[in-house]
Amino acid sequence: MKLRSMLAATTAAGLGLAGAATAQEYRIGITQNNVGVDSYQTTYEKAFIAAAEANDMVETVVLDAGGDVARQIAQMEDLIQQEVDAIIIWPTNGEAVIPAVRKAFQADIPVIVTNSNIAKQGFDFVASFSGPDNITQGARSAEIMCDRFKEMGIEDEAQIVQISGQPGYTTAIERAKGFEDRLPEVCPNVTLMETQPGDWNREKSQQVMEAFLVKYDDIDGVYAGDDNMGVGALNAAKAAGRAGDIVFVGATNFAVGYEAMANGDYWGSIYQSPVDDAEAALQTAIDVLEGKDVPFLNYFDTPKITQENMGDFSKPVF
Amino acid sequence: MAPGQLSTFLKRGAIWGFIVLELIFFSIAGEFMSLSEKAFMNWDNMLLLLKQSAPLGIIAMGMTLIMVNGNIDLSVGATFALAAIVLLDSMTWPFMAAMGDWAIPFAWMFALLTGVALGAINGFIVWKTGVDAFIVTLGAMLGFRGLVFMYNGEQPTSHLNWTLVDFAEAQFLGLHTATWFLLLVTAAMWWLMNRTVHGRNAYAIGDNREAAVNAGIRVGPHIMINFMIIGFLAALSAVVFYSESGSVNPNDGTLYELWVITAVVLGGTKLTGGSGSIISTFGGVLAIQILRKGLGHIGADTETVNLVIGLILIAVLFLDRQLNVRGKEALRV
Repeated sequence: MKLRSMLAATTAAGLGLAGAATAQEYRIGITQNNVGVDSYQTTYEKAFIAAAEANDMVETVVLDAGGDVARQIAQMEDLIQQEVDAIIIWPTNGEAVIPAVRKAFQADIPVIVTNSNIAKQGFDFVASFSGPDNITQGARSAEIMCDRFKEMGIEDEAQIVQISGQPGYTTAIERAKGFEDRLPEVCPNVTLMETQPGDWNREKSQQVMEAFLVKYDDIDGVYAGDDNMGVGALNAAKAAGRAGDIVFVGATNFAVGYEAMANGDYWGSIYQSPVDDAEAALQTAIDVLEGKDVPFLNYFDTPKITQENMGDFSKPVF
Repeated sequence: MAPGQLSTFLKRGAIWGFIVLELIFFSIAGEFMSLSEKAFMNWDNMLLLLKQSAPLGIIAMGMTLIMVNGNIDLSVGATFALAAIVLLDSMTWPFMAAMGDWAIPFAWMFALLTGVALGAINGFIVWKTGVDAFIVTLGAMLGFRGLVFMYNGEQPTSHLNWTLVDFAEAQFLGLHTATWFLLLVTAAMWWLMNRTVHGRNAYAIGDNREAAVNAGIRVGPHIMINFMIIGFLAALSAVVFYSESGSVNPNDGTLYELWVITAVVLGGTKLTGGSGSIISTFGGVLAIQILRKGLGHIGADTETVNLVIGLILIAVLFLDRQLNVRGKEALRV
């Protein structure tokens, strides 16, 4: 009896302390696009949880929409209903989530968009965007490819194909746009023959590239929306014995892309760390909650990486 | 108690018992594991639950009818996406845009007609060729999805109309617009299944198609009408959902057919046909949505939802089998 009441007392005290501690904390909810579909998103989630655990000031609710817009909207509603202090959203569709973001705005919960931005109509309801500048990334990929063609002396005749990311996904659209806009500026005579979606998926991209290889006898370059897809394309070209003729440029340097670059199979990419991405998102949310002045477009830098300068970068962990 | 009555009661009640278990579990677990100070069974949270059940729930009502018939429809997800595209894109057509907000009812009508037409195609093929509905709608699933991609390439189709959003977000008597649609569809389908000749024929055909033909039921047209109904409901689900979100990805609605079938099977409808209940399907839909919501509430990984639902589905089918065996034995005594 005595023991039990002592236990009860200590538990009560413990709960009381925990309660007092939580009162000081920021409760931040995050709804992610599709964890597990690729290693970037998986590493992002791990890094986000690690960053949140390392920070005593925050407690997080980590959710994943599994790529489904309906589920993401439901998660937004749930987070609003739970009265979290801030919501971080990695949109499954840059437009479909706008009404849900407006709901959070109307409930006075600041929304931070992470990784890929929502469409302009929703900007009024968003506190800040934290992520990479995908247009610049696409443009930089175009420059990498063009510079390589110039070194090889084929900048006036090169023919390329593009493998884009998941349809409807802002990152995919912006990278393709940045690439397609910049390429004619730096290399006006390079022809982009065809673009097909690879859905951020390596196997899918391999199939897309297999079809390209059958269709086109002369392919000088492949631009893939990320390295995961780029390596898929590389595998297809290797199987067809044509990898040596093709310049592969990706974005979001993955470990597989880094290794392929070290082997000399893959030319270049854009170095983007999901750890930086996740930490930037959490920090942006905390800064917003603390009332600091946060720029609306809070980009973190994503430099060019090629076989020539890869020694300056450590191998990506994902 | 008549023989078999207990097992029938258990079968019908199982899904509700399961829902109660879920609610109890998440309420208790929520106290310890949730960051939220609000209880899981919070009134507003339960209202949200109903609202979030609507997209799958509305389609599941049609799927119950189709499965009672002994058929299946795998094309609902693609129909859902295509109707959504028609809904949003039609509002940007010049003559529609000229009408301002009056375009909204027309856009709804176009979307619903799209659903009915796609359903009619499925039904007509099943009727006239006699090919199994599984194969026909499998083809339709791929074909309709192809149409979705042809419509606007890989780009999302978007049209954000705030009047429409405000309508979809409105609450009447506390219930959200989507909830009203779900409840109305449930009531209408319950009436159809239990109070009309068409509903009785649906059970008869599912139970024994040859006997139904011999009894003078026109099976072909009956099946076609059912496919038109589920097409209509898939489109209605899209209308309700996309009125609120205003943008459709070409791969939206993928796997909806499987979630819907899961909900219907959880509700006790047999894959072989002839048995099933609208109210139990409603329970199946709620059970899935409570799981999704509850696991999010206690901060569990979202992926665990799929695992848990898979396990429960197998458990339900096993239970169903056991109860059926016992029911037959009871009759023999």
